[in-house]
Amino acid sequence: MLSLRHLHKAYRDSGERPVLRDIGLELRPGDYVAIVGESGSGKSTLLNLIAGLELPDSGNILFEEQDLVLLDDNARTRLRRQRMGFVFQAFLLLPHLTVLDNAALSLKLNGVGHRESQQRAAALLDAMGLSAHVHRFPGTLSGGESQRVAIARALAHQPGLVLADEPTGNLDAGSASQVLRLLREQVKSRGSIGILVTHSSAAAASTDRVFRLADGILRPE
Amino acid sequence: MHFPRDHGSHPEFRIEWWYITGWLHAKDQDDCGFQVTFFRVRPRVPADNPSRFNPEHIIIAHAALADRQLGKLRHLQRAARQGFGLAGSDTGNTRVWVDRWQLLRDGQQYRCRISERDMALNLVLDTLQPPLLQGVAGYSRKGPQGGSASHYYSLPHLRVSGEIRIDRTARTVAGEAWLDHEWSSSLLETDAEGWDWFGINLADGGALMAFRMRNRRGGTLWAGGSWRDAGGAVSNFKPDDIRFIPLRHWQSPLTGAKYPVSFEVLAGPFRVRLEPLMDDQENDTRATTGAVYWEGAVRARSSGHEIGRGYLELTGYLRPLQI
Amino acid sequence: MIRAVWQALVGGPLRAAPGRTLLAMLAIASGIALGYSVHLLNASADTEFRRAALQLSGEAEMLIRGPRQGFDEALYPQIARLDGIAIASPVLEFQASRSSGEPSLKIIGVDALRARELQPMLLAGQTLPAADLFDPDNIILSAVAARTYGVAAGDRLDFRAGTALVTLRVAAVLPDGSHRLPLGIMDIAAAQWRFGLTGVLHRIDIRFDRDAGPAALRKSIGALLPEGVQLLTPEAENLRSAALTRAYRTNLDMLALIALFTGAFLVYSTQTLAMLRRRNQVALLRALGAPQGTVLGVLLVEGALIGAVGAAIGITGGLVLAQQLLAAVGTDLGAGYFRNLQAALHIEPATMLFFMALGTLFALMGTLAPAIEIAGMPPARGLRAGDPDEQVNAFPLLAGITAIGAAALLLWIAPSTGLPIHGYAAIALLLAGATLAFPPVAIRLLKLARLRLPLPHALGLSRLLATPRLAAIGMSSILVSFSLVVSMLLMIHSFRTSLDTWLEQVLPADIYVRAAAGGDTAYLSAAEQQRIARIPDLARIEFLRSRSLLLLPGRPPVTLIARDPGIGGFAAALPLVGTPAPLPENGPPAVWISELVADVLALRPGDPVRLALGAQPQTHIVGGIWRDYARQNGAVVMDLAEYRRLTGDRQINDLAAWLAPGVSVNEASGRIRAATDDGSALEISTTAELRKLSLEIFDRSFAITWALQAAALGIGLLGVWLAFNAQALARRREFGMLRHLGMTRREISAMLAGEGALGAAIGAACGLFSGVIIGLILVRVINRQSFHWSMDLAIPWLPLAALFAGIVFCAAMAASAGAALATRQEMTRAVREDW
Repeated sequence: MLSLRHLHKAYRDSGERPVLRDIGLELRPGDYVAIVGESGSGKSTLLNLIAGLELPDSGNILFEEQDLVLLDDNARTRLRRQRMGFVFQAFLLLPHLTVLDNAALSLKLNGVGHRESQQRAAALLDAMGLSAHVHRFPGTLSGGESQRVAIARALAHQPGLVLADEPTGNLDAGSASQVLRLLREQVKSRGSIGILVTHSSAAAASTDRVFRLADGILRPE
Repeated sequence: MHFPRDHGSHPEFRIEWWYITGWLHAKDQDDCGFQVTFFRVRPRVPADNPSRFNPEHIIIAHAALADRQLGKLRHLQRAARQGFGLAGSDTGNTRVWVDRWQLLRDGQQYRCRISERDMALNLVLDTLQPPLLQGVAGYSRKGPQGGSASHYYSLPHLRVSGEIRIDRTARTVAGEAWLDHEWSSSLLETDAEGWDWFGINLADGGALMAFRMRNRRGGTLWAGGSWRDAGGAVSNFKPDDIRFIPLRHWQSPLTGAKYPVSFEVLAGPFRVRLEPLMDDQENDTRATTGAVYWEGAVRARSSGHEIGRGYLELTGYLRPLQI
Repeated sequence: MIRAVWQALVGGPLRAAPGRTLLAMLAIASGIALGYSVHLLNASADTEFRRAALQLSGEAEMLIRGPRQGFDEALYPQIARLDGIAIASPVLEFQASRSSGEPSLKIIGVDALRARELQPMLLAGQTLPAADLFDPDNIILSAVAARTYGVAAGDRLDFRAGTALVTLRVAAVLPDGSHRLPLGIMDIAAAQWRFGLTGVLHRIDIRFDRDAGPAALRKSIGALLPEGVQLLTPEAENLRSAALTRAYRTNLDMLALIALFTGAFLVYSTQTLAMLRRRNQVALLRALGAPQGTVLGVLLVEGALIGAVGAAIGITGGLVLAQQLLAAVGTDLGAGYFRNLQAALHIEPATMLFFMALGTLFALMGTLAPAIEIAGMPPARGLRAGDPDEQVNAFPLLAGITAIGAAALLLWIAPSTGLPIHGYAAIALLLAGATLAFPPVAIRLLKLARLRLPLPHALGLSRLLATPRLAAIGMSSILVSFSLVVSMLLMIHSFRTSLDTWLEQVLPADIYVRAAAGGDTAYLSAAEQQRIARIPDLARIEFLRSRSLLLLPGRPPVTLIARDPGIGGFAAALPLVGTPAPLPENGPPAVWISELVADVLALRPGDPVRLALGAQPQTHIVGGIWRDYARQNGAVVMDLAEYRRLTGDRQINDLAAWLAPGVSVNEASGRIRAATDDGSALEISTTAELRKLSLEIFDRSFAITWALQAAALGIGLLGVWLAFNAQALARRREFGMLRHLGMTRREISAMLAGEGALGAAIGAACGLFSGVIIGLILVRVINRQSFHWSMDLAIPWLPLAALFAGIVFCAAMAASAGAALATRQEMTRAVREDW
């Protein structure tokens, strides 16, 4: 359960005009939504607020019965580590780790043992069709393959919330649709909440519901 | 005076010198002046020092050549304490030496040898005239008080022959010289600043010598001199008989001392003009005797004619002379 | 075109982050500053020495020098009368002991009339009245001497001849700067008389005639010289005085070299990092059409400029540092060798230019390899985001192994005497080789070890293993500095331990008595010895006579020590090296030589050796070789009874005494003082005092090395800091991603610290290895060759372990501090940056 209530955020350097105004959003496990908007519309800020990387000026962010606004940075970091998964536009795999180690990273960060995390990551990579690549290094993968590894890393520790920030921004159309399909499958099959931030209408179309962020206000489309 | 005994050293006196000045000529060369001096000095040191280096006597020797082509004196000096046979002065007859520099009297001849890297003199001086005793039988007063005096005789008209070497060029020379031998324990009165002296071998075979002691105000403290004519008759001058009238001054660029290098001198019947061979004949012997003085070859003229040649000595012009 | 490339590669980054350029400059500056300041101090001391020696030997062309006790003055007229000698100037030269425990004074007795020809500046151009010059009560002092004793012209000064008092009047004090050493000048006759040296000379200075054939003359002089008296050139005489400190100054030069080397390495790493950082820009410019040559040229010019500016800063800093050090500790850096030497810095433009060029050259060399690499890189590859290429490059490993091999070869062919050039070259090669070869090898070994660490350190480890080249830079700076520090520690510790053991062995008695502190003129007469021998409070007494002896050609005289052999004989009393020779019953008398004498004369126990002690030189047999840390010019020990039989000399300088049970040191000292003519002149020390003093002097000599070691470590840590700082920018997205994945800032810092610590630990381990080898070279090769003394290797394990832990900790801190800029904020934004 993710609940955003009356979120308000302004940056000192953006003048008096707030980036986010009175944002409200309720999502349940299994919900898979997209947030679209122009560049600079505040999508990234909203994503950071949900992830607990930034705090709103006012309002509440409730995730799994905890209000992120009331937690300290360490507690928010722990919550993020245990219950959230991230997919980035630039993949951000660690170049010096193998595909398997990259995918297992989130498990290991959560204290899962080496052997178990390797096994679980391997299973997930298998499901993503990457079983042939587990011992390769990210530098040798194509964009689509890299992003699939990143999705495996984001989901391996069974997060309750998956945040994907332009996951297809660096991919060709074929790879993009494959990645979007996989992401949707994985989020849905785990009963997680999925939020896809994008300005691609094709990507947005792969979700259940679309919200548009414009002038700091979030409206369903 | 008794000779040859008094040709020798007198160690009981504090200071003594053998002073040879003269003119030399060589083939195809301008005439030049030369000067060789041996001093014996006794510093005040305890006699009970057992060291063989104890400086009871010090022998100082100077040699200078006045060559117009050089424009200034070519000057040498050497000094050593008497001892180890390396330096000394004999009694009985003239033999005074420092290292390989030596003045030796042998019969009627003096032999003089000076040898350094850049100059050498090897001369024989023949005595043709008897000693000229200065003052009263060789006792020459140097001031009005009577306490300052020296034993003093001269040997004018010494016939010179030998060889000189400048750097690597040696030439045979001949000429005429004048020797002064003087010894004393109290030479200067306290008021004396220095003296002017000259000795001229007159062309006619006579010899003229005069000196004046100057006081610290530049005036004349005492004067003396003598003239031996060609026939051998000696007249001694009284202080009043002598006047030194400076005609021209020359200032040394090196020391800044200002010397009257040309004089009109009145001495008894003489009225002579002394004209230097060249102006710069200054001797800087501060390293050995401590003195800076002018000692130069001069021509003596009388009513326009050269009547003789000799040497002029001007001391105490930089600062009062101390002995 | 060039302007655009310059703007993009140099101007832009300089404006955006001037700190980085400044750091590179500072790296060069610190190396140059250290090297230049040590060199300056060293050169200044050297110049002072030469100047002082030159002033004394003046314009002499040759000089005759005898041993410390001099030679018969009858030689003087013989020499002076030789054909071809223009001037012979006799000189008396001795250390006169003071009565009041003040330092002794070097007095030269001259014949001013002779000396003025050869040493015109002896009296600094002063003209003194002859009466003052010849007065046997007078002494003329150099300004330094007058200051040392706090006297002025007209004051009186007491000296000691035997146990008698000599009072002299200071006739004049020479102007400041004319003689830079404490010096007294007297008339030769006065000096002979007042100091009981009648009939003796120490030196005759000579000038030849213009036309003299020096070879023939030298031969005829040689024929006149008694044994133990040498004909030397003034150059040899200067060397002789310089030889005293040569070994110490060689070591100082080595320190300068080390400082420079460390600095040079830092330059290399900063430049490498600066190049790697700009690979994207270079690739972009190349893609836009800038020719490879232009890019390379611009980068090299930038490197040279950084080097030049850094060197200029370094030279300025070095000057200031040298001035401060000079004021604080003196030209010998506190070692006490050049006591009282009045030195000013001698700044030579040529040297300055040399260091300037050196700094520029280092920067250029550091720039060259990485600049060629990135300029030659295909643009497409350079444009790709991520870490720089990590292709396996075998070059450093091969070059490193070659350098190490060359070092080993150098050591193998190193001669055993002379300046230890081979040793220094081997050290430099070894260091370079270790720097190049050890980190790649260590990383490969680490990879094989398949170390498994918990998160976040597993990430650090994997990164380190995956980026060996970047890792090696941080590691190598630790390697260089740590191996230098280890080697110095090892050498100093070995030396100190050996010295301590040695002191214990050479100081067995309870108290030690000296006729006077320093000087040649103090001794105890036979009558005084007899009175002392009858003191009942002393259980046992050993008398000692020491004097100098010309033995080694072209070297300063050695110390001859004639003493009682003690109960077990010399084989037991002396700190022997190796086994003594069996001594035949009726063979020649034995002497025991120090290692230096053995080295220079190539003598072994049992070999014959001729000594000129008495009227006739005698053949002795080498009984054994002993270790001597006290006398740098060598020493020979023989039985006192034998010495007396040969020379008839019954004086002694020192004695060692064992106290009877129940007698206190004070009681015994009082009795001994009472038994001599002037007891106050004696210097009496206990064994403990002497040991403490010796060790204090030792520690003072090496005090400056601590500063240099600290500087080396500082530079090494700066290298770690720079390496991490340079990587931080490239790694911001990695850190941002890890923050998203739920790592706290602290965990990221810990990860970086772990990376730094791991790199430092590897670097320090390699450094420990190469440092021990370098330390061995210092102990076994360099010290042996410079000082001619051996020492036992002692490894200071505990300090080394502590230092190891310390440097790993500091490197961890430096690493996380270096990356702090990148981790402090905005990491989350970094994930969305596109390059």
